[in-house]
Amino acid sequence: MDNVATHEDWKVCFSSLAPGLLLFARQWLRSSADAEDVVQEAFVRFWRRNHNIENRALLYATVRSIALDFLRRDNRRARRESDVVAEIEHSVQPKFTTEDETQRALAAAVDHLPGEQREVVVMKIWNELTFAEIGSVLGISQNTAASRYRYALGALRKNFTPQ
Amino acid sequence: MNDFSELENQLRKLRPAPPSPELFSRVERALVDVADENKSADNVVRPDRFRVNWVSLGLGLAAAAVLLIVAHIESNRPAKKIPTVASLTPAPRDKASAINDQLVPAGFTSCLQHAGRGLAVCQWRGPANAPRALPNARDVAMA
Repeated sequence: MDNVATHEDWKVCFSSLAPGLLLFARQWLRSSADAEDVVQEAFVRFWRRNHNIENRALLYATVRSIALDFLRRDNRRARRESDVVAEIEHSVQPKFTTEDETQRALAAAVDHLPGEQREVVVMKIWNELTFAEIGSVLGISQNTAASRYRYALGALRKNFTPQ
Repeated sequence: MNDFSELENQLRKLRPAPPSPELFSRVERALVDVADENKSADNVVRPDRFRVNWVSLGLGLAAAAVLLIVAHIESNRPAKKIPTVASLTPAPRDKASAINDQLVPAGFTSCLQHAGRGLAVCQWRGPANAPRALPNARDVAMA
């Protein structure tokens, strides 16, 4: 993909990235509307600064940063932040288009992963980032990202029972 | 193939929900707004009086820095020392002390002249052990 700033057809880039970005943002935000706001702001900021779209780590780091700022911005949310974060761990489901009970169960199992494992899985599976890129987004080493991913898959296999 | 490949394949079959159509139009609008902002920012005419002449400012700052450095060096320079090493030739003495050395009176001679006899009796007055002053050159010549 070319640089968004010099590419006329930004919609092609955005349409390929947006579902994964929204899923990524939904980890911290309860509603899809909030997630769309965050993704819009991150993408526009990314475009405005003329970054290369191949620098996906920076794009995801921007989404993450804006999503966390979004959480803190509102006083009401800030007051409830600890509750919300705890609640997010268990209640906010990534938006998937599920076809059967097996997929719904798998989506629920992903939802129940610890946050630090879930965000690695989301970036790896549905956004196809490398472990090096994931490490760059989260400020952790590549090996730590890989081990979190393995722990997550291990937990999923343990908790997920196909219907 | 790792142990989790089957599970990974099942996860990949889950598709994230697509964004709403409104999101595309919102992003497009925002990008257009940004482009317009950039254009208008380029078109802003800045009055000359607000421009900073960086060359002059730089030269001025450099000159001030040089002055400060010179002043600092001058203030820290130690006072000129008088050499204390003994020299072969004695230090010159000033005129006043030389004159005083010559004119220190050790005593005086008093003379009494008898008018009738035309005889003068002179007597040395002063400390007994004091050396008698030598007549200076002028007195000898007058005599």
